[in-house]
Amino acid sequence: MVDFGTAELTLEMIQASQLGMKAIGAGLAVGLTGIASGIAEMAIGSAAVGATAENRDVFGLVLLLTVIPETIVIFGLVVALLLLF
Amino acid sequence: MLRPERMRRLLIAAPKGEIDTIIGELYRHNVYHIEDFVPESESAEALSIGHPLPGASDVASALNDVRAIENACGINPDSVEVREKLPASKVREMIRTDLPAILEEVKGLVATRSRLEARQKEHEQRAKELEPFAAVPLDLDLYHGYARFTVFTGHIAHDVSIDVPHEKYFSDRVDGNMIVVVVQNEYREQVERTLLDAGFQAIAVPEGTGSPADNQKAHIAEAQSASTEIAEVNEKIAGIRERHTDFLVACDELLTAEVERAEAPLRFATTEETFITEGWVPDDRADRIRQALEKVTNGRIYIEELEVDDAARVPVEYENPSFASPTQVLIDLYARPRYSELDPTLMVAIVFPIFFGLILGDVGYGAILLALSLGLRKFLKGDEGRMLLKVLSYASISSIVFGILYSEFFGFALPWPPLIFSRHLNIGGEAGGHGPQVVELMILSIWIGILHITLGRILGMVNSRKFHHGKHAKKAVIANAGWLGTMWGILILIWSFYAIPMMPDLTGFPVAIAVGVVLLVAGVIGIAQENALEIVELPTIISHVLSYARLVAVGLSSVAIAMVINFIAIGMLIEPQLEAITPVGVIIIIFGILVFLVGQTLNLALGILGGGLHSLRLHYVEFFTKFYKGGGIKYNPFGMKSKFTEE
Repeated sequence: MVDFGTAELTLEMIQASQLGMKAIGAGLAVGLTGIASGIAEMAIGSAAVGATAENRDVFGLVLLLTVIPETIVIFGLVVALLLLF
Repeated sequence: MLRPERMRRLLIAAPKGEIDTIIGELYRHNVYHIEDFVPESESAEALSIGHPLPGASDVASALNDVRAIENACGINPDSVEVREKLPASKVREMIRTDLPAILEEVKGLVATRSRLEARQKEHEQRAKELEPFAAVPLDLDLYHGYARFTVFTGHIAHDVSIDVPHEKYFSDRVDGNMIVVVVQNEYREQVERTLLDAGFQAIAVPEGTGSPADNQKAHIAEAQSASTEIAEVNEKIAGIRERHTDFLVACDELLTAEVERAEAPLRFATTEETFITEGWVPDDRADRIRQALEKVTNGRIYIEELEVDDAARVPVEYENPSFASPTQVLIDLYARPRYSELDPTLMVAIVFPIFFGLILGDVGYGAILLALSLGLRKFLKGDEGRMLLKVLSYASISSIVFGILYSEFFGFALPWPPLIFSRHLNIGGEAGGHGPQVVELMILSIWIGILHITLGRILGMVNSRKFHHGKHAKKAVIANAGWLGTMWGILILIWSFYAIPMMPDLTGFPVAIAVGVVLLVAGVIGIAQENALEIVELPTIISHVLSYARLVAVGLSSVAIAMVINFIAIGMLIEPQLEAITPVGVIIIIFGILVFLVGQTLNLALGILGGGLHSLRLHYVEFFTKFYKGGGIKYNPFGMKSKFTEE
C-alpha cells in the first residue's frame, strides 16, 4: 500500500502546486466577483428596462446605474491579474 | 467653451395688428426661445393667453391629411434624402390643386386594401375550417337534414370501435385526426360517451354543398386572388410614393411650420389690443433680431432687455469648438448642463477617446471601427446618430494610435516592440520579450484616476461658487477642498509607508507622515463642516481611484480573448494542417478561419461595449459626481431649418 501522507515532495512539486494555487485563486477572484456583479446587475437591469419602457429619456441614466456593480468584478479582475503577474 | 452660450432675455410687446409679421420674422430667424406665458390667477392685470391665428385649424387639418398619406405610403420625412428644394409658393399652390386628388387616391387605395385584406382573411378562415372535412369522402350536404340520425363530426385522439349499427369515417391525415360517425338517434348518448372517452372534440360542419375538397380549393383560390390584388394595390401605393415623396415631405415641412406659427400666440400673453412675449436669444444674435423686428414693423414694437434674475430658467445651448460638439450627445445622455455651471463637453471630448484607446488599443480593431463609423454615416439619418458616429470615429483613431504604441494588431504583435507598456500575454507559449507589464499599467491607470478626480474636485470648487451664494458657497468650496485634501493625505501616507514603483517614494521622510496626517485630518474636517453625514462616503475616495484600474483590466481581458482566438484558430487548427495538406486538413483549415472570423467579430463587439461603456462610466460616475449637476432647460428656438422648401 502506498502511504500518501509521507510521499516525498520535491521543491519543483511544491513550486508547481503553488503556481496552481495562484491560478485557482485568480480564477476564484474573477468567477465569484463575476457572479456577485451578475446578481447585483440583475435587479438593476430589470428595473432599468422597465423604467426605459416608461420613459425613453432615462436610458442614459439607467445604463449608468446598471453598470455600477461592474466595479465588483473589475476589482476581482485586478486581484487576479496581480496574483498572476 | 467650458460655459454654455450666454443668453439675453427679451421682452417683446406690440399691437395685435403686427402679430403676423412678428411671428413670421421670429420664425425666420430661428433664434428666439419662447418662454411660455402662464397666467396667474391672482394677477391684477387683464392678461390672458392668446388665440391661434385665423386659419390655424385649416392648416392643421391639411397637415393631418399629409401625415395620413405619408403614413399610408410609409414615408418618413426624417429619412428622406433632399434632392432639390421646392419653392414654398409652388408647394402652396400644389397643396390647393394636387393634394386633394392625391389624398382621394390614397384613401381609396387604402380602403380597397383593407377590404381585400378582410376578404383574404375570411377565405383563408373558411379554407381552414374545410380542411378536416376534405379528408372524408362525403359531400357537405350529406352531413345534415336527417330526422332519425345523428351525425358526429370532430377531432379525436385515436380511432374507436362502435358496437351499435353505424356508419363511420376516420382519417389520420389531418392534424388531431378526423372522425365522422352517423348513428340512429336512440344510440346517440351511448356513442357520444364512447367518443368522449377517446378524447372527442366536436367541430361544426361548414355551410355549403358539394365536395369539401373542391370547396376548400375554391376558397384558397379566392384568397390567392385577393392577395394578388393586394399586391397590385401596394404597387400603386408604391407608385404614389415614388412620384410624390418630394412634394409630400415639402408639404409636411411647410404646413408644420405654418401650424407652429399659427399656434404661437397660445404661448403669448395678450390684452385687448396688444400682445407680450418673453424669451431668450443668444447674446451675439440679440442685436440683429432686434433691428430686424423694428424694421419689419416700422417701429411699431417695444423691445426691452430684461435682467437675468433666475439662472435656472435660462435655456442652455452648448458652445464648443467644432471637434468637441459631437460629444454633446454624451453629455445630453447624462443631463444638459445648467446655465450657471461649467460645461464639461470639451474635457470629455478630449479624455473619452484617450480612455477608449487605452482600453481597446489595437490597430486592427481601430481601423475596422473607423471604417464602420465612416461607412454607417450614409445610413444613419438622425442628428444624434451621426454625432455618436463622429465620437466613435475619434475613439477609433485613438484606438489606432494606442494600438501602435502597444504594438497590437488583432491580438498579434506588430513588427516593433511595444513603445509604452506591453500588454502581450503569454498565450500559446510563444510570447517573447518581458511579458505583460500589468503592474506598471495598473499604476499608470491609478495615476490617471488620481489626476482625473483631482481635476473633478477642482472643477467642483469652481462650480460650487456658482451654485450657492454667500456662506454656503464658501462651505461648499471648503468641502470640495476637503475631499481633495483627504485623497492626497491618504496617498502621501501610503507612499510614506510603502515604496510603490512609478510613484514617489517617501518611506525615508518622516515629515511626509506628518504632512499626510495633517492633510487627512484637515480634509475630513473640511468635509464634515458642510455635512457631517458625508463622512460615510469617505471609502469612495479609494474605490473611485481604484475604479480606474478598469482601463487596464478591461483592456487586458480583450487582449487575452483576441490572443486565445488567434491561438485556437491559427496555432491549433490551421498551422498543423499546413505542414501536409489533406482533404480533411482543408476542412479543418476552413473551420479555423471561421473560428478566427467569428471570434474576432465577437471580441470587437465586446471591445466597443467595454471600451465605450467603461470610458463613459468613468466620466459619469467617477468624474461628474465631483462637480457636475446638470438639468438645464434645452434651448429650443422658435423656428425651423427648412430642408425641403425655400421661400
